[in-house]
Amino acid sequence: VLADESVVRDALSEVDDPEAGMNIVDLGLIYAVDVTEGAVRVDMTMTSPACPVADVITEQVHDAVTRVVPAGTDVSVRLVWDPIWNPSMMSGVAKDHFGWGE
Amino acid sequence: VIRPVFRAPLLVLGFVALATGVGAGLARLGAQVPDAMSGFAAWHGVLMAAGFFGVVISLERAVAINRAWAYLAPLATGIGTLALIVGSPSIAAALMLAGSGVMLAATLDVVRRQRALFTITLALATLAWVVANALWLYGQPMHVIAQWSLAFLVLTIAGERLELSRLLPPSAAARAAFAAIVTLLAFALVAAQWAWGPRVYGAALLALAIWLVKQDIARRTIRASGLTRFIAVCLLSGYVWLAIGGTLALVAGLSPGTPAYDAAIHAIALGFVFSMVFGHAPIIFPAVMRVKVPYSAAFYGPLLVLHASLVVRLAGDALASIALTRTGGWLNALALVAFIAGTAAAVLRGRARVA
Repeated sequence: VLADESVVRDALSEVDDPEAGMNIVDLGLIYAVDVTEGAVRVDMTMTSPACPVADVITEQVHDAVTRVVPAGTDVSVRLVWDPIWNPSMMSGVAKDHFGWGE
Repeated sequence: VIRPVFRAPLLVLGFVALATGVGAGLARLGAQVPDAMSGFAAWHGVLMAAGFFGVVISLERAVAINRAWAYLAPLATGIGTLALIVGSPSIAAALMLAGSGVMLAATLDVVRRQRALFTITLALATLAWVVANALWLYGQPMHVIAQWSLAFLVLTIAGERLELSRLLPPSAAARAAFAAIVTLLAFALVAAQWAWGPRVYGAALLALAIWLVKQDIARRTIRASGLTRFIAVCLLSGYVWLAIGGTLALVAGLSPGTPAYDAAIHAIALGFVFSMVFGHAPIIFPAVMRVKVPYSAAFYGPLLVLHASLVVRLAGDALASIALTRTGGWLNALALVAFIAGTAAAVLRGRARVA
């Protein structure tokens, strides 16, 4: 059974970076959502390689996706550092929130 | 790489240093504390900056880079604390120097992954700790070592905040100002043995506080709610103490044994650094120990006690009343106990929620 990619993305946008008070999708941390038969793979990054919360966030992402895909779907979350995150990857919503262009 | 169950003993070593260090600090103020603690009065700064923060920050760094060897940093440092407690300060200094060296290697690994002003700042921070330990090993005076140790903590926080400030990227001018402030602080450290060195140090810290207040996203996230707002309150209130500590050092220098010295050092170390700890423990503790620390408005309690207790302590310093300063010291300790109790209570709440 194929999971619905938009449902997966909605689930991802439920995961927040608590420090920023902003979800990881709008922060631009999700690099790829790859939906195939029976599997969902998410590639994501962190804003900093010195960030110790990577395991916690990737686990939250795994749980959030697992909740919305058909039972038995293989969910994997990869932490990637290429390309390195930069602020221009944030969504318009996030940029407005933090006061870009003010 | 290293599972949380094996991280716990490292964290315990950090908290042994914290408990002993706080007791030693109270003993310095003439408080009646158990002999086991008062014997360490001379090592208060080492226990706090290296024994506690060295372990906690290097552990956090090891979790971040996810390399087994990086855990040698908190391990060596923590064993250094035990060496100090059993009465072998030179072995302690050597172990802590080794621990800080490993942490420097771990931080350089971060720089290798991303060469940026914020990662370089983290590396400079760690280098300051390496120098502090080397100076200690070579028998330099504690008040000089204290400046290097505080720079380790202040620059670590500054680097982390610079990183997050990119959510509203600082202008080229603001970035240049940050680099200039860090350079000034480094210059002041090298000049620490001259009377004017600590004044430049104070000026650099004051400038850093102003930079942080202007550039930190906390100014925006304070309008959020829950944990995000709590962190912002911790940050912004911490910056006020950094400004106060910097101003005191700028105006009065850092002459050990004077009330102004007590006030400046503790405005920075307790007011600024521990505010950051209170704010970030609900994020970092779960990352290191893999437990949940659900937010509660009760988190504001220890933060209020911390700030109020520092006001009492600095009032005692201003009035040259050792009794009042000592009362402030006891209340400082109470704030830390309340913080630990509050965090423990939150962990239990988190467990109950899962179950």
